[in-house]
Amino acid sequence: MGKLKKKGQSGQAKNYITRTQAVKKLQLSLPDFRKLCIWKGIYPREPRSRKKVSRSATASTTFYYTKDIQYLLHEPLLQKFRDQKVLEKKISRALGRGDVGDAARLERNAARPDKTGKPRYTLNHVIRERYPTFIDALRDLDDCLSMLFLFANLPSTSAVPAKMIARCERLCLEFEHYLITSHSLRKSFLSIKGIYYQANIQGEDILWLVPYKFNQRVVGDIDFRIMGTFVEFYMTLLGFVNYRLYTAVGLKYPPKFDQLKDDQGAELGAFALEGVNIATNDDTKAITSGEVEHGPDPKVQAEVDKIVQQLRVESDDKAAEESSADDVEGEEKPSDAIDKFEPVAPGGDVLPQPSYSSSDPAQLFSGLTFFLSRETPRQSLEFILRAFGCKRIGWDSVLGEGSFTTDESDPSITHQIVDRPVVQAAMSEEGDGEDNQTSQKVGPNHRYPGRVYVQPQWVWDSVNDEELKSPEVYGPGAALPPHLSPFVKPTQGQYDPTIPLEEQQSEGEAIDAQLEDANEEAGEESEVENDMDVASDEDEEEEDEEEFGGVSGSEEEEGSEDEEESATLQRQRELEAEISGKSVKGDKKVDAKTKAKLEAKKALERKKKAEAEDLERAKGMLSKKKRKLFEQMQYTNNKKSAEDLKLRQKRRRLEKEKKV
Amino acid sequence: MGSKLTDKKRKSRDSDPESDDELANGLFDGILSQSEDEEAYLPSDDGDEDDVDDSESEGTGASGDEDEEDDILSDDIPSDVDSEEAINRLVKQQGELEITEPGVDPKRGEDDGEEKNYRVEKDANGGERYVYDEIDPVYDSDDSDAKGPVNTIGDIPLSFYDSYPHIGYDINGKKIMRPATGDALQSLLDSIEVPKGWTGLTDVDTGNPLNLTQDELELVRRVQMGLLPTDLQDPYPDTVEYFTSIEEKMPLSSAPEPKRRFLPSKNEAKQIMKLVRAIREGRILPYKPPEEREREEEEQEEVHFDLWQNEEPQAPNPMHIPAPKLAPPGYDLSYNPPEEYLPSKEEREEWENADPEDREKEYLPQKHNALRKVPAWGSLVKERFERCMDLYLAPRIRKNRLNIDPNSLLPKLPSPSELKPFPTAVQTIFRGHEGRVRSVSVDPTGVALATGGDDGTVRVWELLTGRQVWSVRLNSEEPVNAVRWRPTKDAFVLAAAAGEDIFLMVPTHASVTPALDQASRDILATGFGYATNGQQPAAPVGKEPAAKWARPGTKLEDEGVLIRITVRSTVKVINWHRRGDHFATVSPTGQRSSVAIHTLSKHLTQIPFRKLSGLAQTAAFHPLRPLFFVATQRTIRCYDLQKLELVKVVQPGAKWISSFDIHPGGDNLIVGSYDKRLLWHDLDLSNRPYKTMRFHGQAIRQVRYHRGGLPLFADASDDGSLQIFHGKVPNDQLENPTIVPVKMLKGHKVVSKLGVLDIDWHPREPWCVSAGADGTARLWM
Repeated sequence: MGKLKKKGQSGQAKNYITRTQAVKKLQLSLPDFRKLCIWKGIYPREPRSRKKVSRSATASTTFYYTKDIQYLLHEPLLQKFRDQKVLEKKISRALGRGDVGDAARLERNAARPDKTGKPRYTLNHVIRERYPTFIDALRDLDDCLSMLFLFANLPSTSAVPAKMIARCERLCLEFEHYLITSHSLRKSFLSIKGIYYQANIQGEDILWLVPYKFNQRVVGDIDFRIMGTFVEFYMTLLGFVNYRLYTAVGLKYPPKFDQLKDDQGAELGAFALEGVNIATNDDTKAITSGEVEHGPDPKVQAEVDKIVQQLRVESDDKAAEESSADDVEGEEKPSDAIDKFEPVAPGGDVLPQPSYSSSDPAQLFSGLTFFLSRETPRQSLEFILRAFGCKRIGWDSVLGEGSFTTDESDPSITHQIVDRPVVQAAMSEEGDGEDNQTSQKVGPNHRYPGRVYVQPQWVWDSVNDEELKSPEVYGPGAALPPHLSPFVKPTQGQYDPTIPLEEQQSEGEAIDAQLEDANEEAGEESEVENDMDVASDEDEEEEDEEEFGGVSGSEEEEGSEDEEESATLQRQRELEAEISGKSVKGDKKVDAKTKAKLEAKKALERKKKAEAEDLERAKGMLSKKKRKLFEQMQYTNNKKSAEDLKLRQKRRRLEKEKKV
Repeated sequence: MGSKLTDKKRKSRDSDPESDDELANGLFDGILSQSEDEEAYLPSDDGDEDDVDDSESEGTGASGDEDEEDDILSDDIPSDVDSEEAINRLVKQQGELEITEPGVDPKRGEDDGEEKNYRVEKDANGGERYVYDEIDPVYDSDDSDAKGPVNTIGDIPLSFYDSYPHIGYDINGKKIMRPATGDALQSLLDSIEVPKGWTGLTDVDTGNPLNLTQDELELVRRVQMGLLPTDLQDPYPDTVEYFTSIEEKMPLSSAPEPKRRFLPSKNEAKQIMKLVRAIREGRILPYKPPEEREREEEEQEEVHFDLWQNEEPQAPNPMHIPAPKLAPPGYDLSYNPPEEYLPSKEEREEWENADPEDREKEYLPQKHNALRKVPAWGSLVKERFERCMDLYLAPRIRKNRLNIDPNSLLPKLPSPSELKPFPTAVQTIFRGHEGRVRSVSVDPTGVALATGGDDGTVRVWELLTGRQVWSVRLNSEEPVNAVRWRPTKDAFVLAAAAGEDIFLMVPTHASVTPALDQASRDILATGFGYATNGQQPAAPVGKEPAAKWARPGTKLEDEGVLIRITVRSTVKVINWHRRGDHFATVSPTGQRSSVAIHTLSKHLTQIPFRKLSGLAQTAAFHPLRPLFFVATQRTIRCYDLQKLELVKVVQPGAKWISSFDIHPGGDNLIVGSYDKRLLWHDLDLSNRPYKTMRFHGQAIRQVRYHRGGLPLFADASDDGSLQIFHGKVPNDQLENPTIVPVKMLKGHKVVSKLGVLDIDWHPREPWCVSAGADGTARLWM
């Protein structure tokens, strides 16, 4: 006879361990345990059966895998935590004795990341463990970047030391520099929460959110110690990722950081990238500082100006093109993009190729010179423009250091990004507005000829569509077209605002809409016919509308009733026409049309009914479990389709309003 | 001299009472007593004074009053004694000043109550002139107690009093009279006359000329010169060195000099070596200001290297679940979304009123017509924090999300057109039975329909027209429970069961050809010959035979009922073997003999089971093989008739099986049960049902496959409906049968909770006939 098995000695009961047990086993305090879990990426698990795992567990008990906790036992950080605890004890003892000097000395030795923004320990090995390959690290970079970008924009408090913020900011800017150099930014989206960016690094899509440059409000009970633990880990991670990325493109890491420039608000401009060898050096310099390239002697500048002027005189449109063409010629970059394989002789198979190579992100803004007005978000614009190949960006001096030019009247500027309303009063005056506060005294509506004025959304829409959008729609003060998220993948049957309504509405909806339209048209026609009694017509119209509002709801249920109704309606109309002594012709035409529509509708309903019946039958054949699942799925699908329907209805209404 | 004066003063006060008594000899007594009192009264002034007063006042009664008076007046208003004392003083002074005053004594009375520190003299003009006593500038000389009357006019110029004879008031409110002023000559004379120390100034307080002594003048001079006020010989004398100036020639102790004086300390060397080592090893660093050190540390700590230098991909831990990424933003999160995404007023209100936890989205789409108008997102930090919490605190479960089209779950059903034909509507209603119609059967040619009902009759109808062509009353009391045609076309034989009797009949009517009729009768009659030939095994002695085969009697025989078989209990079910020579009957109440197999050709009845577990419900022959199925309440057992053994036990899982039918192919089975279930069994597959269908609200009474090659089966239920299914059994063994419900036929009325009692298919066409409790049979096509 085999050994009797005792309860709680094997199986699930052994596999899981509660948090309290884990803390006890590791001999840590709870905050230290939390830290360790965050860094090591250990998270609770939900056992399949709580009862089997622990009889005394309540709903709020958290379970960990025992193996996970065992793995923590060998963590070198554990010793660090214990040392820290000992040190803290020493400090408190010294303070108890009143030995302040001793306490201060011990304190100085203590690793206090909350004070210095730096721990005494390193998380290198943890990162290596969690991300055995670089790709793994890239895959997990979403949260890291969102977090660090948020912290870079936080106000410093006692919980968030200024040094931590500064370090976050530096790391973020370094990362942005890499994206600029490697042109790996793909998409960006202006949302109400902030700006989303998507980059593609080594085939991994990384999406992160950067808040708008405002003071972040800290609401609710937020434990910054937890966030700080995450940030500590993320900072280390991004540091190594940056190093790897920089060295991969032949740059030296860390890049040279100019404290002075940073103090003047240069941000991206405060960094000077250096190549590892000389060959790349020139290249990178060109990337970072168009200023250096362009600043030097007035002669060349004048020359350039002259040429630009000439070009402008010749034709405004060609100017930009030519300059861009020049740039392309001058650059002569070796493209590592995929070449297009065209079949030379017929008969071969066509092999599919990834289509991204069609438009190089490095080329999008490459020939253009931008000027940012002082009301535009400089940081994000600078980043996105640079990432898509723009080399020369100027901005008003109030926006900080590091611009290509602060002179708005610079003739080399091709595009100016403005985000201010057109001032009506100053439309006529051409001269300088004296009351303007900017360094350049330019009238509020002053436009430099030969320059494209656009709102910031133009940049984002151009980036997402991978082509320069036509600037007319995005002119200053213009009502902008909707800004759409580039991250939404169109799926079959889902509402898509980019496609005209007619292409995506269901048959029934279309008929409904047409009916409604027809009805309104009829109303309009009759209005045209007899202008004299407009009031009555309007009444009629209203009635009709009401009726249809009612019908659209009930129609789906009963078709026959509907038919009757329409018949009576027709009869009534005829009678009315007879009484008023007018021809019924127009009405009749409309009636015929509507009748056809109604019939189509009825047919559709019949079909729907039949389908529903079929569905019921088919559902009858499913097992109970499967039927439940099916119904669940249908529930979510129906919810989604109801949402889509609502959107389509709203859009139809809006379109109609617009037409009117 | 000064001390003497004070002594005198004190003494004079002390000696007041005495002087009071001895007014006459006051002058000298005072002097005499001076020496005595001096020592006694020196240490204490006031306390002892009183004692003395008390002791001395014993003798005199009025002394107390006077004493007090004196205390008050002693200073300013000189009493008699005071005046006397002052006179004394003056007398003394006179010696010094050599100024004689002839009229002192006589004047004493007049001057009573006035100050006596001056003398009144005649000046050159003959006016009065006050001559004041010279003040010796010794310590205490400026004592306010001893001072003479002081002008109390305060800080106002003296010129205010120019028009008055007085220049102010003393502390007692008495006028201070203006001192005499003389003309210029007089003043000149005065100046000549005045003694040394004359300054020509007038004391502001008193109006008297201010005289300074030599010392005072010297002091003034020294102050003016900026010298020390007192005259010292040498303000900075050399220090006198008392000890070091003398060199000691001899040692203080004769002890030998200790080693530590001339040997280096080993301990110190050790300490120093420790430090040296620490410095060499870099443990001790030269001092740096804290900021510089911090900066250096920072630089040192920022180590950059390629962490993934020698990366080696590892297989992901199967237990590891990576954190799900946040969903990318949709259109409605745009700062400038398409307008249809904006919430309407109601939606907005609903969102705002909802609890934050109940909201579907944590944001409302907003539209800003310019980027500059987009505000900061208030809860961004909170959202990030929540994400952090999720990352480390949320248990992760791998959930297989079925990202499939729900319609793919649905079985691939053949289209309805493929399923056709199947019965859809009632074609004929057969009315005639009184009470329920218990059983129906369509004959193998598909022309006639036989029904049996509660009224004990068996009726034969023309199927298509519904005309009753033949009828017989088998039993007036018992209902006809089952009617079944013999399944071969060579004869026209019907079996019916009423009560314990089974009747075999040839329902002859117009459409039956005489040849067929004769053939049928022959088949039925052969058994009699067999029986008479004595080939039938004799029944065991003493045992009742399983059944009695007999002629039913002339009346019935005339009608065409040719054989009556009487068994032990009520027969409910009859099922023919496909060849038509055997048929099985089941009488659920007849314990051991509930199942019987009858052989027509031998008029033989056998009871195959000695013992049955459970009540037999129904039994049937396998359509192709020599197998026999018996359904008890819970199970269906399959027996091999040749080997006489149990082959299979089918367990439909129903509580009470009502009926079952075997697919003509022989591999599938449908089972109906009183617990509303219809079960399809694939006999090759499993003992358990392949499909369970529960579409009826009431018990299922009968199930039946179509026998003529159409993939149809039907069931009849107490809820008054028939359900027609398409059940296609594929030729391929590996494929599963397709079962599709196609039609619900409703028409029978439910009478006392009974609906449709029996059902049968037309042998070729997709028609079926049902028997209802409402007394009708219906043909559906």
